[in-house]
Amino acid sequence: MTPPPALSAVPTPEAAPAPGDSKINRDLLRVMEGASPGYFLLLGATVLVVTAAALTWIYQIYIGLGVAGYTHPVFWGVYIVTFVFWVGIAHAGTLISAILYLFRAKWRNAINRSAEAMTVMAVMTAGMFLGIHVGRIWKAYFILPYPNQRGLWVNFRSPLEWDTFAISTYATISIVFLYIGLIPDLAIARDRFAGWRRLLYTALALGWQGTSRQWKAHTRSVLHLSGLATPLVLSVHSVVSWDFAMSIVPGWHATIFAPYFVAGAIFSGFAMVLTVMIPVRRIFGLEEYITDYHFENMARFILLTSLIVGYAYVTEYFVAWYSGVEAEQTSFWLRAFGPYWFSTWTMIVCNVVFPQLFWFKRLRTHVPTLFVVSTFVNIGMWFERYVIIITGLSREYDPAVWGVYTPTWAELTILAGSFAFFAMLFLLFLKIFPVIAIAEVKELAIHDRAHGAHGAH
Amino acid sequence: MPSLQGIFDAPGPVAEAAKRLRNRGFSDLEIYAPAAFPELDDALDTKPSRVRLFTLIGGLIGVVTGYAMAIWMSIDWPVMIGGKPFASIPTYTVIGFELTILFGGLATLLGLLIVGRLPYGSFGGHDKAYDVRFSAEEFGLVVGCRERDVAEVDALLRAHHAKEVNLVEA
Repeated sequence: MTPPPALSAVPTPEAAPAPGDSKINRDLLRVMEGASPGYFLLLGATVLVVTAAALTWIYQIYIGLGVAGYTHPVFWGVYIVTFVFWVGIAHAGTLISAILYLFRAKWRNAINRSAEAMTVMAVMTAGMFLGIHVGRIWKAYFILPYPNQRGLWVNFRSPLEWDTFAISTYATISIVFLYIGLIPDLAIARDRFAGWRRLLYTALALGWQGTSRQWKAHTRSVLHLSGLATPLVLSVHSVVSWDFAMSIVPGWHATIFAPYFVAGAIFSGFAMVLTVMIPVRRIFGLEEYITDYHFENMARFILLTSLIVGYAYVTEYFVAWYSGVEAEQTSFWLRAFGPYWFSTWTMIVCNVVFPQLFWFKRLRTHVPTLFVVSTFVNIGMWFERYVIIITGLSREYDPAVWGVYTPTWAELTILAGSFAFFAMLFLLFLKIFPVIAIAEVKELAIHDRAHGAHGAH
Repeated sequence: MPSLQGIFDAPGPVAEAAKRLRNRGFSDLEIYAPAAFPELDDALDTKPSRVRLFTLIGGLIGVVTGYAMAIWMSIDWPVMIGGKPFASIPTYTVIGFELTILFGGLATLLGLLIVGRLPYGSFGGHDKAYDVRFSAEEFGLVVGCRERDVAEVDALLRAHHAKEVNLVEA
């Protein structure tokens, strides 16, 4: 005998919405609620890898930098490569938040919060690599201009010192930007959660009520921060590129480096946002908010910056040939056909060849293609930095001091740890803060409703 | 003094109602909105936001600090490099630039806090007229008025498509 259907299976009529109910709030706050076993599994995996990397770092501090593959003449290895990579990733957030804000590109609303969060996390990840690379981490504060007994100051002529200022400014401003954007959303969360979350959001929302005075000051602040962050985002990777371009190493000493690095940074940043947001959208069912239209626009940006990066590759080779400097020419020849040929061709194929698929609308709107290509771009951009740094250093002027560098297990573990660290922070962010800017989504929704607009955006 | 709270669905009518009320001489007005709308920006206060001053002053302090710090420090411990000047302005421009942005950005945050009067109210508390609906998708226009004006304000709010009007403070 089959039992009669349970009463609960009978669909109940839709209850009238409670006051203060909003579909946008419900949909977007739901991302923060609860967590599936899969989430904990993923979080656990990232914590495991981060722990392995942290132990490796402790081992490296104990033993010394010898555990890294540094060998004459290559003393900038995977750590600096990864540092530059993460600084690059950090560029998409500010680009989306600031530059697209100034251009009034409304499509940014769906992705700006996650991109800003990724910026903060990527800068944090990148910052650690400076500490990992210098070895004696306990002396890292020497880079800051602080009054000391020796009366000695830092060297402001050094690009490494510029880097300190650029990266710490960038970290601070991205945190401020992220937080200012979060305040109204934290108030939304404060009004709708109970328990520890309510306490946390009450504290962080600063008593935000959305009065016209508050909104007016908020709009102004976001505008001004965008105005400040736009030149900042262009400057940060320029400064990072000068770490190389200001030296006299063949393959580094080029004026093209700043624009080339900035384009590459935006390129890799957008790719990372796509790589992360495609699974997030799928898992949390955010298709209504992050549409294929948004992904398509990101793909266009990737195509544009891929062309700029590809152009820079060609220009580099042209300049090396046209300069007539033998060291320069040899360096570039060995880049493509020397011991690091594999990295170079991976870089070219991933960064220049694959993104050309985005010329076709069908592929720009095909989510699996987007995911695969953006992942390849991430790989390619890591290899770009590897190619620039390692081939440059291993093949300087005198063939007698040429050498070959190979990363060791310690460096690769810490590299893996950086990705896990980034993923771990993002997973935690997903559950603590709204991953889509709720108030900004509402702004569009209410505007469209009031004006009866039916256009997509 | 009574306060009337009109609930609206769109920013346009709120702005119009606020304008009408201001023209009639009501000055104790407050608007609550779920998001930023250009219509509402100037509904109560037409002056440009003072946040701009904070950003400007912060940025100026930053640029001066950046150059001054780098120049002073290189003179305080002079390092002779090929007879070049101690203060190399072109390279110090990076420091000057970064500190412009850093101080400007932090001053903007300070401006938001001061101009927007944040943190606001007591911890966990809110205005009597605040409603959880204002962090959903509805708008509030709250009018403080004399007892004898209640009927007039009520009628005016309803005439501007307020879907409900509540007396929040008797």
